[in-house]
Amino acid sequence: MSNIYRKLQVTVTQQRSILKQLLSRATPSIQHPLLWAACLNERQYKGMPTHGIGRWRHLLPKQAPKKKKDRSQQRQMVPATDTSYGTLNVQVSGYDMTVVEHYSQYIHNLCNRLGIRVAESYALPTKSTEVMLMQEQGNKTYVDAVLKTHQRVVQFSSLDAYLCPVLVDVLLKNQPEGVQLSVKEHTEADFQARFKARPELEGLIAQINQ
Amino acid sequence: SPWGAVGCHRVYKDTRCCRFMLTLNYFQMELEKSLLSDHELRLMEDAERMSRKQADDYDSDEEEGRDDQEIMMAQDLEDTWEQRLKSFQPAPRFRADADKDLTSVQRCLADSLVLLAEQQVGAEKLWLLPQAAWQEGETLRQTAERALSSVSAADFKATFLGNAPCGVYKYKLPKATRTESSIGTKVFFFKAILADSAPGKAPNSALLWLKKSELQKYLKPAYMMKVDRFVLSL
Repeated sequence: MSNIYRKLQVTVTQQRSILKQLLSRATPSIQHPLLWAACLNERQYKGMPTHGIGRWRHLLPKQAPKKKKDRSQQRQMVPATDTSYGTLNVQVSGYDMTVVEHYSQYIHNLCNRLGIRVAESYALPTKSTEVMLMQEQGNKTYVDAVLKTHQRVVQFSSLDAYLCPVLVDVLLKNQPEGVQLSVKEHTEADFQARFKARPELEGLIAQINQ
Repeated sequence: SPWGAVGCHRVYKDTRCCRFMLTLNYFQMELEKSLLSDHELRLMEDAERMSRKQADDYDSDEEEGRDDQEIMMAQDLEDTWEQRLKSFQPAPRFRADADKDLTSVQRCLADSLVLLAEQQVGAEKLWLLPQAAWQEGETLRQTAERALSSVSAADFKATFLGNAPCGVYKYKLPKATRTESSIGTKVFFFKAILADSAPGKAPNSALLWLKKSELQKYLKPAYMMKVDRFVLSL
């Protein structure tokens, strides 16, 4: 729209300059502004002569329209080089949710301080374990307790080799009781495990394949 | 360059000490922010039901309660759990006898310990972190693994924390022993954690498990300065 307008303006000014040259040679008399504008198909000012004086957006370079962020897309997996490890997953799991969460927050803050780039920090679904005990008199088992295992994952995009022993040492020294720590490389399977299974879609795909 | 490299490493035992929660009052904060759990809700419901039963105009037909809750109250469950907790005996954290024995791995369960071995270096016997000379064609980490297995002679299963060394110490040999090819030695340190909780003791080797504060008595000052930088005592 503004492009067209700019072209119009350009063409209008070009026309005007050509006409001016012609008319100045032909008739030196003063032209009526309305007649002048009418023969040139020029737009009249909307009220004020200074209308549109502050317009600047038409002068900016063209930008591509913003794409909506697709969360389900995976971040780029950084490959390992000679001096640094690739994408690593630090998994913290335990029964006490407050302790597990605080520990994962501690790891995240520590990495921010040490300059290690943290790619993502997410939680895996909680797993419930039922503890069944045998009854004292009889063979039947009864439910004694329900234990919930909470898991939190902190993902580093890359970890330099010289930082690795230092970081792991500090993490192990500060590991609280009842919390298990594991450091693994990030794989495609780990990423896919976070999604829910879609049985209808899988059924349809199986039908198509058959 | 005429510097030879020697791989060496230290092994320490896991600590089981909950330190980071003691500094800030996390327990209080979490308690105040948290919602009531199922058990606590049940306790409150039972208390309410008891108070309603004891009122004069109680009509049991109006009660929507479940039968199992009437039989086993939440308070009874709590009492059984408390009884079980009283009968539980946790293992002692500090044992004075084991603490004094410098060669045992089980001493000072609250701190992390460093393994020292008495080794022959040149003419003298010195207390050092286990070390071995580097050979052509093997990586420094492999040298460190070899050093550990050679010094201990028992099967110490240790997991190395990384392929890169965490510290270095270099010294020049005394002028008498200097040759054209070797002026001195560089010692690289690797970190490893003991996997077994109770490794067997070899009879010949002189091994010590020391805390960071006790290291100063056994190591030479220049060596101690370099080792001090990477040994963490939290």
